[in-house]
Formats: sequence, structure tokens, C-alpha cells
Amino acid sequence: MFNLETIRQDFPSINKKINGKEVIYFDSACMTLKPRQVIEAMDTYYNQHPACAGRSVHKFGEAVTKKIKESRKNIASFINANEKEIVFTRNATEGLNLLANSLDLCSGDVILTTDKEHNSNLVPWQLLVKRKGIKHKIFRSNSDGTFNLDNFREAVRGVKIVSMVHTSNLDGVTIPAKEIIKIANEQGALVILDAAQSVAHTKIDVRDLNVDFLVFSGHKMLGPTGTGVLYGRYELLEKLAPFMVGGSTVEYTTYDDYRLLPAPEKFEAGLQDYAGIIGLDAAVKYLDNIGFENINEQEKKLNKYATDEITKIPNIKIIGPADSGLRSSIISFYIEGLDMHKIALMLDNSVNVMVRSGRHCVHSWFDDKDIYNSARVSFYFYNTIEEVNIFIDALKKITAIL
Amino acid sequence: MICIISLIVFSLLGLFSATHRALAKEAFDCVSRRFTFRPCNTRFKEKIKSKILVYLMNRSTFLARLANKHFELFSWIFFIFVITSTFYVIKGGYNYYFYGSCNGLNQSGFCAFDPKGENNKITDINQGQCGAVEKKEENVTLSGMDLSIFPAKNIGSKDTVVLIGCYECDYTRKAYADIQKLVRNQKTNYIFAHYPAKEQTNYLSEIGYCVKKEYGERFWSFNDYLFTVDKVEIYEQDYMEKILNNFGFDIARINECVKSPDTVNIVSRQLKEMKKTHLYGTPTVFINGKAFVGPKPYRVYLHELKKFILF
Repeated sequence: MFNLETIRQDFPSINKKINGKEVIYFDSACMTLKPRQVIEAMDTYYNQHPACAGRSVHKFGEAVTKKIKESRKNIASFINANEKEIVFTRNATEGLNLLANSLDLCSGDVILTTDKEHNSNLVPWQLLVKRKGIKHKIFRSNSDGTFNLDNFREAVRGVKIVSMVHTSNLDGVTIPAKEIIKIANEQGALVILDAAQSVAHTKIDVRDLNVDFLVFSGHKMLGPTGTGVLYGRYELLEKLAPFMVGGSTVEYTTYDDYRLLPAPEKFEAGLQDYAGIIGLDAAVKYLDNIGFENINEQEKKLNKYATDEITKIPNIKIIGPADSGLRSSIISFYIEGLDMHKIALMLDNSVNVMVRSGRHCVHSWFDDKDIYNSARVSFYFYNTIEEVNIFIDALKKITAIL
Repeated sequence: MICIISLIVFSLLGLFSATHRALAKEAFDCVSRRFTFRPCNTRFKEKIKSKILVYLMNRSTFLARLANKHFELFSWIFFIFVITSTFYVIKGGYNYYFYGSCNGLNQSGFCAFDPKGENNKITDINQGQCGAVEKKEENVTLSGMDLSIFPAKNIGSKDTVVLIGCYECDYTRKAYADIQKLVRNQKTNYIFAHYPAKEQTNYLSEIGYCVKKEYGERFWSFNDYLFTVDKVEIYEQDYMEKILNNFGFDIARINECVKSPDTVNIVSRQLKEMKKTHLYGTPTVFINGKAFVGPKPYRVYLHELKKFILF
């Protein structure tokens, strides 16, 4: 049973007032709020057994080792993976950098990304273009931001790696990942999915998708900051050379040699963020408990209502498809000739509505389209229609004076 | 422009509030970046602008729209106001410190540091009554006044202090102690002239003159006493006799001197000489010829001697 009022009680940060007004948080695409279950799980680590996992044999060490093992198993299960296929990272960006630096890429190899990639899935490849001489191709979306499968069939030929954002943080459009992976695999290309924006909003099943690699961040799915996951098919992980090595990545060393641990440990150099991983586990459990059907239903309701209201306001243009159902929980909008930071600041100052403004780390797309920036509203299941109404009223007033 | 205004405004408010102190720091960063030709990357201007617009928007859409449209113009206007008022505040503070009035030496008018105008209060000699009066802007000067006929302590200093006051005037009494302290500590020449601002104390001019004539330097302690004793005691001549008696002066000798035509002439001459200064109230103090009308704080007199004046 999806009881919004009860659910909202779990989020301490939306149950407070600033300057006598309630906080309205519409920036979940950047960072979701944290339920107290996640915060308490992390507290438990620090209060009960703040020790190292996997090396210390004392009681605290054993307790943490057990907890991290359980967390890895739960997180793997969350995306229908095997626990050996889960590499803990600091975030999706680190996962993508790990892949860019670990995959066996040589001069002339072709990487294909979309035209709406977050800098995290753009710059690592651009760096390899300069360092190794690989080729980086951009796959253009349709004019409304949707994915063109027919064009993709052509574009993927001769490509070694397809690395694409699953749900765009710019316009909320989700690409048809399953079909893309099938086509790419037929062409012999590996597929990396940046699921940072999708994993918290839709059920991800790596087996069903048959994806080769998938990355996501904890902070966008109710989890703590500084946590992330790289999923890789085990046979691929086994072949990958580690990007960072050191403590926890080796079985033993001599002065002349070393023997690496198997995946996933060989990729997890140094002491891990145990509290973060335990918090991420709690977040996964919380999401499972809420259920993605409920999450989707609430987000769609909010996005449709807000889209309908925003389109009534003169001069506002929404980035991406007109159909709110194709934009996940995101509405990215702009007004020609206006710095949207102004809108974001005024929303914050007037009614405590927190939205993101700027280029959302997709500078390349804004540069290409010659759009200065946008304001981005991103909902999550804890938002309400009443909050949307406050936002719309304020937006109408603000656009009337700017 | 708004960064500079904010820096000034928030710096002042920051003296009393930590929140404004943080904003002042941000404004300072913004201003220093501007002055070093670097972009202001804190979005400070937008933050402040949005706060102002939201404030206006909640009251009047028209005003908010107007403010948004002409924000730079309003910023400039406000900047000029801020700079101008800051200049006047600094000037006022300077004037108050060095001259005892925000508006300049001997200038009346409202002064925030001296709201009651205590440092400019005088006994108006034209009305012949004690009390606060409006400032008059005559050019009070010592030139043309013969100082040799007044009681003087000439110790050969390069500095000379002249006090024209009335025994009965509260404001002269207020200034008197500071003048004595100044003369004593700075070792200046000193000339005292009694201007009877109230008719009933006219006779004290003759008595003062005669005490000086008959008893020489003992006059100064007698003079000090007249400025410190309860005013009631100097209104009546009967009381005065007691005072003279207490000082050990020969009353008959003093009375004889007072009645002498020479005394009447010289006191009358003293009065004429004092009027040549165009003074309009007591106390009027001249320090090396510069007039200070009203009881100024001690530091004002002192700084005139020390010459620590900027403008």
C-alpha cells in the first residue's frame, strides 16, 4: 500500500520549514533525499562496529565483513545480478572511468555515445581519443530527444563499445536499451549503460537486458553520497585489467610480483566506504519495499500534471518530447534569452522550491543546440501534487516579471 | 554595481549580524574579482537581485517587473546614494570628532552623534536670556579686538586661548572646566573676558575687573569660584559680599573701585571690544584666533592646538 503521507515521514529533510515555509525538493535527478532508514543504517555502522571488512578477524571486523557481503548480495539481487558481478565504486562516474581505463582499447577502435551524455560518459572517451587515438562517434537523437533505432542499426557498424545513458538527466528520455543491446551485440560491440538516472525509477534487470556493463550511483537512489556500483558480466570482469590497485586488490605480493584477487575485489582498491555501502543496501531495501510500480505511477502523475500546467505558461519551452510519459520524472525547460539560474534562485527565495538550473553536466548538448541553459524539475515518489501547485503558481509569477 | 553596494551595506550590517557578515564576505569576493578583471563566479549579483525581486513580487508585480527591467539603473542610483551618504556620514563623523558638530565648526542642525545639539548650545546675548538658541552664522573673529584690557595669563606660549563667557551661563560653565584644563595642560596663554549675557550679572564685570586690579593673580581663583558656585549666589550682591569676604578681599576697597569712573569706563570699553568680535552667544572660545561657539568637547579644543586636522 503506497501511503504518501507515511512515506514522507521517512524523509527528515522535507519535514522541516525554512523561513516559515515548507521545503519543496524538485532536484532528485541530481540527488535524492535520504530516508531515515538509510541514515540509521549508516549510524549503526559507526555506532556498533566501525571497523575494517575482510581483513580483521576480531568481532567488529567479522560483523562488518558479514554486513558488506550481505549488502553486495542484496544490491546484486536488486538488478538481478550475481554478487561477484558487483564492483563498489564511489559513483557512476568512477565506474565509467574504470571501464574507459580498463577496457582493451587501441588506436582506431570506435566508441559510440549519444548526443546527450553526461560529462561522465563523454570526457573519459574524449581523453582516450587524445591518449590512444580511439575514435569517438556521437549518435544523434531525434529532434524531440527520442532514440532512433533505425539510425542506430547503421551507426553501430564497426563500433567496439556502445556507451549510452539509459535515462537522460537532461530531458528524462529513456533509450530502448534491450533493443540497442541486442543490435550492438549482433554487431560484436560491447554495451555500457549509464543507469545513474534510471536505476531509481525503473526496475533494472541486467539478465533481461543482457547488458555487458552497467553503472549507477547511490546518491540518486536514496543512498549515501560517495557510493556507486559497476555491474559487469563476470566473464568480462575477469578479463578486465584493474584501473586502480593496492590494498584489498591482491592475494599476495613479493618484491617482484603480485597476484590479483578475482573480480570484484581486484577493482576495489583501498579501504571501502563501509558505512556508505551499508547505507546503499538500506536504500535498495527501501526502494524494493516501496515498489517500482508505485514509484512509476506517482512520478508519471506528477510529471503529467506539471507538464500540462507548465505548457500553459507563455514562452516556456520544454526540452525533450511533449509527452510527459516519455520523460521519466524530469521536466527540463527554458525561456529564450533568459538565464534560468534566475528562475531557480527566485523559486528558492520565494517558496523554497529547489530546482536545478544550468547545463546539468551536458554542456555539449547545450553548446550544439545553442541554448544557454535550462531549469530542471525532477520529481520522486515523495513529491506531491500540492507541491507542484505551489511551484506552478510561483513560476507563473516569476515569469510574469522577468 | 550591486556587488559594491552590497559590500558597503552588508559590511555595516555585518557589524551586528553574522548572516550579513557572510554576505559581506561574498560581496567582497565579488568586488575584488571585478577589480582584478576576473568574473564574479559566486552568482552573488543574481542572488541579491532575486531576493529583492521576490520581496517586491510578493507586494506588487508591477514594481517587481519595473525593478527587474531597470535593475542596473536602480543599482547605479542607489550606488550614488550610498556613496554620497557614506561620504556625508564619514564627513559628519570627522566633523563631530574634530569640531563637536556633524555639520562643521559652529554649525547647528541635526547631528546623529549629538542629537540634542549640546555642543552648540549658547546663551544668546542678543536676547539677554539663557537658553538654547538657533545657530547664527556671523563671522566671529578676534581681529580688531584689543585684548590688552582683559585679565590675561601670558606665559610666552605661541598658543593663546581666549574665553568670552558669562558667569551665569550654563554653557560657559560647561566649557569653563575644559578650557582651564586645556590652558593648564597645554601651557597656553589665556585671556578671560566676561560678557554678561543676563542683566542681573552685569555688576560682576566691574567686580571681576576690580578684583584683578586690586589683588592681581588672586583674581583667577575668584574667577574659578564664580564659575563653580551655585548660580543663585551670584545673582544677589549681598551674597557677593560674603564671597568677597570669604576670599579675604577688602569689600570697601572693592566697592570703591567698582564705583570709580575709571572702572565704569574700562568695563564699558571691554564690552565694546567684545562686540567687535561679532559674537552672538556665550561661551565663545578663540584658540589662536579660531572661534568655537558653544561648549565643545575637550578633544575639539585639544585638536585645534595639536593641528591634527585632515580637511
